[in-house]
Order: sequence, then structure tokens, then C-alpha cells
Amino acid sequence: MAFESDLLALLPRLRRFALSLSRDAIDGDDLCQMAVERALRSRDQWQTGTRLDSWMFRIMRNLWIDEVRMRGRRDQTFAPEEAGAMVGDDGDRRIEMAVEVTDVGRAMDRLPPEQREAIALVLVGGFAYREAAEILDIPMGTLTSRLVRGREALMRELGEAA
Amino acid sequence: MTIDRETLMAYADGELDELTRRRVEQAIAADPALAAQVDADRALRARISGHYAGTIDQPVPDRLRALLDTSVTDIAEARARRAPIRQWFMNAAAIAATLVIGVFAGRMANDPGPVHMSDGVVVAQGALADALDTQLASAQPADAATRIGISFRSVDGVYCRTFQTERIDGLACRSGENWTLHNMVSAARKAATEYRQAGSMDPAVLVAAQAMMTGDPLDTAGEAVARDRNWR
Repeated sequence: MAFESDLLALLPRLRRFALSLSRDAIDGDDLCQMAVERALRSRDQWQTGTRLDSWMFRIMRNLWIDEVRMRGRRDQTFAPEEAGAMVGDDGDRRIEMAVEVTDVGRAMDRLPPEQREAIALVLVGGFAYREAAEILDIPMGTLTSRLVRGREALMRELGEAA
Repeated sequence: MTIDRETLMAYADGELDELTRRRVEQAIAADPALAAQVDADRALRARISGHYAGTIDQPVPDRLRALLDTSVTDIAEARARRAPIRQWFMNAAAIAATLVIGVFAGRMANDPGPVHMSDGVVVAQGALADALDTQLASAQPADAATRIGISFRSVDGVYCRTFQTERIDGLACRSGENWTLHNMVSAARKAATEYRQAGSMDPAVLVAAQAMMTGDPLDTAGEAVARDRNWR
């Protein structure tokens, strides 16, 4: 059952990634559940010896982008503000962190999907550029230019511009 | 030479090969605007990753575990599920302990600034890390390069400290042997919005500290005790 236990160990990272991606389109834990179910169905496609985390993040990212395309930009604009901020949070801690949550969550929410997934993989997920480019199946140059644009948009939103 | 925006960002993220990294460092030394951009990139990274970091410590909902958990009756597993935060910190401490030699070796080498990237998070290094380890707010030299603000216990049960250096204001929390940056504001941004008295801590850092604090900030005696316990 190594496959299941390895996935189990990945769950905290997968949830964090889901939360950073999914505020507008789908609840983070719903996205996580869909990704795990897909992985269990498709386990034959995972090649032993390759990185399970990259494979899982790719599955999750593909499910998310499907969701984004299906719902379109309309819901992104009008999603209730609190909905995403509450995902995966609990009790007092949530209330205490509310100030920060609103700013960063909202700023991430406003990024175009292709910038947001790049930011989520590198800045939140901690993947190296090359790994992130492979997960997204794009050239390194495309990844870095999306990262630059995403960063600059976030800096404008959050008032961190140099 | 000219450093393009992508290369500068890659430098901030620790992505460059040795040769390019040296070139960028030379350019940065000659141009404060480049240094400010690097600080801004790292500040943003610390803020974004810090924002989502709490998710890692939270218990995974049962509905997700149930999809994968083939050993529900296992006692260690059950215990881990009851106390996921503590478990995580114990693991982190164990990993950090094995890394400590590497960290010290790294510090003695070329030291390009107050922070570096480590496993996807921004970590204090060099003089800043030393100040966070040893300096007491109640007894800091007037000319100290790093000024410590407040120290406190976080809601996650670790020690955190606010600080100011020439280049950045920030909030760092103990993670094993390291100080992980949870909030960081570059001096360039401060300069741009400088309506406050010079030397005051950036309000964004204070707001972040307040959100993470449990109880009151440590008083003089509490700070000294925490330092003697190596902020554990």
C-alpha cells in the first residue's frame, strides 16, 4: 500500500496548493478529493521512480483548470468574499488571521489562471522553476515570464512594489 | 552588464547557476535599485508562502484521509491525527537538527544578504539570524545593525520576533534551528511610503505579528529566558 501511504503523506501539501489555486472556482478540499480519486483511478499511469508529488500536482492543476474554464470569469468576479477565506481554516485562528487572509487571498484571486498556477507552484508549493515548468508542460521561458507578471500584479495589489 | 527582470527574479528565488549568480551579485552591488527589487521579490514570496503555510499544520479532514487511510486502527497513526501540529513540529525539528551543520557551513561562505531560500521558504541567515538567536530587545547597542522589536509566542506554539535591518523589516518565527520569515517588507517600500517617523516598524509587520500572537509580548525577563532555551 505504498502508493496510498505516499499520497497520504502528500495531503497537507496538496491541500495547501489547492487552497492557493482554488478560491474562486472550487472549494480547496473538494479539489483535493477529486485529485486523490483521480489518482487512485489512474495509478497505473504513474511510473514508479518518478516524483509522485509532481504527478499529483499536475493532476490537481488539470482538474482545477477544467473547473475554471467551465465556470468562466463570471464567478471569479462575483464569488462571495468570505467563501474562499474560510476554506481549510478553523476557529479562533481564522478570525485572528482575517486581516491577512483577505489581502493575499483576494490578490491571488485576481490573477489570470496561467499566472496564478505558476505563482502557486513556485511561491506556495516550493517547486523549482524547472519542476514547475514540467508540471505545467510549458517552456522555462514561459514560466518565468508568467512568474514575473504574476509577481508584479501581486505587488501592485499588496503594495509591495519596489 | 544589464540584468533583465527574469534573471533578477531567478536570483531572488535561488534559481541561478553559480556563474550567473556572481554576475548578478556584482550588478546588485553597483545598483541599489536592483538590490531593492530583489528584496521586494523575496518580501512578496515570504508573504505569499507565509499566508498559506498554516494549511500544512492543520489536520487533514477525515473525508480526505478516508480515501487513502488503509491503517485506521494503527495507534501511531491515530495519535498523529489527534495531534497533527505537534507531530509536524517534531518532524521539522528533527530535519532541522540534521541540517544544522550545513547551515553553519553555509554561513561562513559568501554571505549576500539577510535571507535565503530553503525548501521553498525564506529563512534568515548571517547577521540577521545571529541577532534573532542572541539579541535582546532590552539590551541592544544603539548602533546595532539589526534591531529587535517584540518577541512573543505564536498561536502555533513557537517563538516569533519582529526585527528591522537596513534593508528589511520583518517577522520571523522559530522553525527548528532556523528563523522562517512570515512577513517581510523591503526598505524600498518603506522609503516610498515614509510618512512615519524614521526607524518605526512597518505597520504590515505589526499587523502580521498581532494576528499570530497568543498572550502578550515577552517582557524583559521572558525574553531572556526564551533566549537561554534557544527559543524552543
